[in-house]
Amino acid sequence: MAAEHSSILRGDLQDQQTASYQSPLGVTGTQTVTLQEFATESGYKFDTVDVSYQTLGKLSPGRDNAILVCHGLSGNAHVAGMDPKTGRPGWWDYHVGPGKALDTDKFFIIGTNTLGGCSGTTGPASLNPHTGRPYGMDFPPVTVRDMARLQARLVDHLGIQKLFAVAGASMGGMQALAWVTDLPERVQVCLSIATCTAHNAMQIAFNEIGRQAILADPCWNQGNYTEAAYPAHGLAVARMVGHVTYLSQLAMARKFGRRRQPEAAEPRQFSVESYLRHQGSSFVKRFDPNSYIYLTRAIDEFDLFEKAAPEEVLRRVRAHFLVISFSSDWLYPAEQSRDLVRLLKRAGLAATYINLESEYGHDSFLIENEPFANLVRPFLNREYEARAKTAAAPALAEHHP
Amino acid sequence: MNPGVYATVERWIPERSRVLDLGTGDGAFLARLAKTRQVIGEGVEKDPALVTRCVERGLVVHQGDIADGLDQHANGAFDFVLLLGTFQELVQPAEILQEAFRVGRQIILSYSNFAHYWVRLQLLFHGRTPVTRSLPTPWYRTRNLHFLSVADFEVFCGETGIRQTRRAFFNGHQPVRFLPNLRAETALSLLDSTRPPAAAPRKFEGGLDPEI
Repeated sequence: MAAEHSSILRGDLQDQQTASYQSPLGVTGTQTVTLQEFATESGYKFDTVDVSYQTLGKLSPGRDNAILVCHGLSGNAHVAGMDPKTGRPGWWDYHVGPGKALDTDKFFIIGTNTLGGCSGTTGPASLNPHTGRPYGMDFPPVTVRDMARLQARLVDHLGIQKLFAVAGASMGGMQALAWVTDLPERVQVCLSIATCTAHNAMQIAFNEIGRQAILADPCWNQGNYTEAAYPAHGLAVARMVGHVTYLSQLAMARKFGRRRQPEAAEPRQFSVESYLRHQGSSFVKRFDPNSYIYLTRAIDEFDLFEKAAPEEVLRRVRAHFLVISFSSDWLYPAEQSRDLVRLLKRAGLAATYINLESEYGHDSFLIENEPFANLVRPFLNREYEARAKTAAAPALAEHHP
Repeated sequence: MNPGVYATVERWIPERSRVLDLGTGDGAFLARLAKTRQVIGEGVEKDPALVTRCVERGLVVHQGDIADGLDQHANGAFDFVLLLGTFQELVQPAEILQEAFRVGRQIILSYSNFAHYWVRLQLLFHGRTPVTRSLPTPWYRTRNLHFLSVADFEVFCGETGIRQTRRAFFNGHQPVRFLPNLRAETALSLLDSTRPPAAAPRKFEGGLDPEI
């Protein structure tokens, strides 16, 4: 049974059996800071907001080596190292650590749980100070831009004026794009992975199926559920749908084929059914159903060029970009990344683009993925070195066509 | 490719030019141009492993085919578009050159001369598709779609209204100064979209480039 549930992807360190996994960073934890007064785009004013975060590596004396890592839909602040509470590695441990793609020997890595999330940062499951009960559906709508602005407040709190880089995949990639466009003077390099500037109809559709699964659960109760009556099944179904969209046909065929699950309670259960149920139930243990609704809504609403034309939005942007898509990612297909790259280049920005060969679908960025690491590591290192040089001789400031 | 080709391209490109290198490979030549001519360059390369090599060199690079690499850019984004060793692989060379002139002011391209005497002799005496220093792969493995001679390219330029402002021809390490259609293995051309046509049409054979 355990073998069937072990990662289809040699990865996704959040949901898998990882007893044998060792992080070179050892045990790392997260911290929480309470920030005063934060207003959302929608106009809601929080008196205080809790922000869960983690830092790895050392901030340089010049405070110029910070990389903010923005997580995807189901991620959290615990980017890398072993979590002392759960004993699990951080979700990006494969790619964040000494000598890894994001090298903690060189860079100061900041991970943070996003606004509206459910892993330490204020979200729908947090207590509403005005009522003493969880916000539930009274939580204000959050946007990807809100998430980025709150992250900027955390970066202020850490005493960092300018990030060297912001990195994110999927929903995290949207946050990275919000950073470079809304806070252009505060970030120098943008790593945009398997993401897009706006969801298409199919991406919204899959999120809507997930939301409807939660809303249709009788225990959801307009968002006012209790531990005793919890919409676990709805959230599990939402995760099942989501999880399938993060995989690829080939990876699933290889892993499961039409095999049946031995020792299953129900006769003739397919292995893939058993796997998905396991994915669903383990997700329920660590994720809040209302948070799922708010976050999927936020990424569906995200549209980088909604309010102004691309040349207008990108006019003030100064960051250099590395844009990565994965050949088997059908949820965030390469065309979306390529469209972004075209707009960046046509706005005169330096953008390196690659569509990496991978069989594992959207989640390819989460897994042990050598071509990915071998691309990201030198990109960040060379960009950092180039900036150190330019800082020494500012007269030779770079200008890209 | 012939090292003389690279040395000549390097001389033709003024310092601090903006250069788009189509089919940049591992980026070695673009990195050299960035160092010796301080060009602001970008490479286009299909092979992901080679793209990674370019990133290791600190180059801006786009993974995609040549048409995609051109399509990414605004009009006039570059001073030079390079097609070194890739021109013969283009399905629609005329259309690609037109698109390259949208993106860049000038084009530098190279090709293998199919009318080189060694090619002619192989075909004449062996009756087989020639394999030479500049056309090293057999017909069933070559990526070249088009086999053209210096004379063919002159006609092509005439018919498509493309102006050549500089040419250079090579045979091994030596520049070829006369009878290039017979004696050159490799040809290099600088095409310009902005300058008026040369006053007098040049003869193709023995048409000397003032630079060589």
